[in-house]
Amino acid sequence: MRIFEPKAMNLPTDVYQKKVRKRTRILAFLLTVWVIGIFIRLIDLQVFLHAGFKAQVVKQNQDRTKILPERGTIYDRNGKILARSIPVPSIFYSPPSEEPFELQMKTILRLEATLGLSAKDIERIKSRLQKKFSFAWIKRKVDVDTAQQVKALGLNGVSFREEPKRFYPQAKLAAHVLGGVDIDDKGQSGIELAYDQVLRGKEGEVLILRDVKRREYYSEVLKEPQSGKDITLTIDENIQYIAQRELEKAVLENRANWATAIVSRPDSGEILAMASYPAFDPNAYPPSPEQEINRAIRYNFEPGSTFKIVTASAALENRAVSLNDIFDCSEGSIAIAGSPIRDHKKFGLLTLPGVVAHSSNVGMIQVGLRIDPDAFYRTIQAFGFGRKTGLDLPAEESGLLMPPKKWSRRSLPALSIGYEISATALQVLQAVNIIANRGLLIAPKIVGAVEGSSVIAQKESTPPDRKISEKTADTLIKILEQVVLEGTGQAAWINGYTVAGKTGTTQKIDPELKRYSSFKHIASFVGFVPVEKPAISMIVVLDEPQKAEHYGGQVAAPVFREISSQVLRYLRVSPQKSLMKAALTAEPGREGER
Amino acid sequence: MVHKKYTKKEIAVGVLASLMTIIILTFYLWHITENIRLGYEIGRCENSLQTLREEVKKLEAKKASLLSLERVEKTAREKLNLTEPKEGQIIYEDF
Repeated sequence: MRIFEPKAMNLPTDVYQKKVRKRTRILAFLLTVWVIGIFIRLIDLQVFLHAGFKAQVVKQNQDRTKILPERGTIYDRNGKILARSIPVPSIFYSPPSEEPFELQMKTILRLEATLGLSAKDIERIKSRLQKKFSFAWIKRKVDVDTAQQVKALGLNGVSFREEPKRFYPQAKLAAHVLGGVDIDDKGQSGIELAYDQVLRGKEGEVLILRDVKRREYYSEVLKEPQSGKDITLTIDENIQYIAQRELEKAVLENRANWATAIVSRPDSGEILAMASYPAFDPNAYPPSPEQEINRAIRYNFEPGSTFKIVTASAALENRAVSLNDIFDCSEGSIAIAGSPIRDHKKFGLLTLPGVVAHSSNVGMIQVGLRIDPDAFYRTIQAFGFGRKTGLDLPAEESGLLMPPKKWSRRSLPALSIGYEISATALQVLQAVNIIANRGLLIAPKIVGAVEGSSVIAQKESTPPDRKISEKTADTLIKILEQVVLEGTGQAAWINGYTVAGKTGTTQKIDPELKRYSSFKHIASFVGFVPVEKPAISMIVVLDEPQKAEHYGGQVAAPVFREISSQVLRYLRVSPQKSLMKAALTAEPGREGER
Repeated sequence: MVHKKYTKKEIAVGVLASLMTIIILTFYLWHITENIRLGYEIGRCENSLQTLREEVKKLEAKKASLLSLERVEKTAREKLNLTEPKEGQIIYEDF
């Protein structure tokens, strides 16, 4: 460093100092210019370019992402999972901006076989890419193995996102009750639709800060998502399974078009099983429109002879008949407004219990003609016909019941035997539940509890509504027991139990001939067991059984027996020993009935 | 050029102040770094927790699927050769 000293530079001290000062000034000037330059640049960055850079930083480092709420789970009455949402991978494409359109489409086409993309899918993606969208779903909600295959291809711009998918672990079980959801997990039918708002929950939002390598280092929930609430149904998966299995067996054996069965607890109105055939797998929603129909609540039919319970109730309640009155059924037919209505055989003279037990149309028309039309109409209404039961399922039919002023001369006799009125299977079951409950109407229900809600509590607090007197109901119960012991419903008899019920065989209207067909029938059986304290009530309906036997007592009553005997065993309702003996003794002599 | 001579005390104070500044700055930097590191860690843990929760849900659903009554009945009948009990084979305890 000595070379910069005055002596080393061979300069006098004052000249040297002058030179140093000059250089210092130059250096100071340059530094000042440099600092001012930096300062100006800082102002430029912080003031004029601030907004642009901030936007870039936010885009690069911050993500505001929606938090999808978890859709509530649907359980059966014993807490078994019937429907649950689980996360599955969805595949989307964010086209790299530097890639030309042709290359982007090449990437998509490489996935065609692996993902099974249809021409429609390809067209949809192509359209989005042409419109310069920065995001396009390739395929949503694929299985994990497929996603792994796609990942292994390592395609540029192809990414994955987890989305919730509705999963029904029991597949076809209670499919008509559960319904299904669309690709966005929105309820489309059944409980999924009726309780969509409850199950769905509300979306949330999260702020995620990422570093330059896009690693997440900070996250803050800006809006908490609200998970959907869980729902517990009154359905019992075991009873539902038994009902579906037996119903399917019956349809195949009888070559019927379709069938439905409902099992309920009369004292609480709870539906334990609601089965329809054909069924569908909600995991592959939507099914065909034919499969999707819940025939228990969405199909109206003329109930036929099962409606004789209502006619008999109206007659007894309005004192139009007594139990000892005799009805002449010896002709086997009766002329109504010029056209004959027949019995399946000539019965001779019958009392009211005999008329019901043998399901005599001739006898029941005579009973019906004794009832005041307005009083009859009121009783029919009291049993819940002509209006929805209010079950928590969408698209329930209300049936059709004409007021007396619109009745023709045929109406009263026709109504007496269950024609000129249409009802759903659930409405018919509800009517029988009134008898089983000794005259009290307890509305049917299928939702047992909604997580953290008082909805069910309110429903439970609705007091039972008396529709007919206890005395009339008790009389009817005895008559319905006779139906199973010695009448048309003997095939519903279960060893060791007291069973009450009524058969029904309805002629259907032939749409081509526009009159009742002799070949197309709806066979049904409705009843409850055990009579003393009903554990279950049930209706079974089969449409157009093709075998030679087509009567409710031959086709539907055996299904009732099969389901009931298994359900009673499952519910641990023991048979009565005394009844078993009596029944076993009586069995060989049982009359082959309808 | 006149050089001021610092006393030992002044030098000690200066060194101490510098040390304090360095320590505070180091602590501050460590604090920031540690915050970020913990942020990563929390993010990883939360992701892991979420993944595990989802895994539990998936397994519960899979369990429900494996225990579906149709499958159980098929296994009972076809693999274990079980059949429905006949009427006389059922004993009711409350008889």
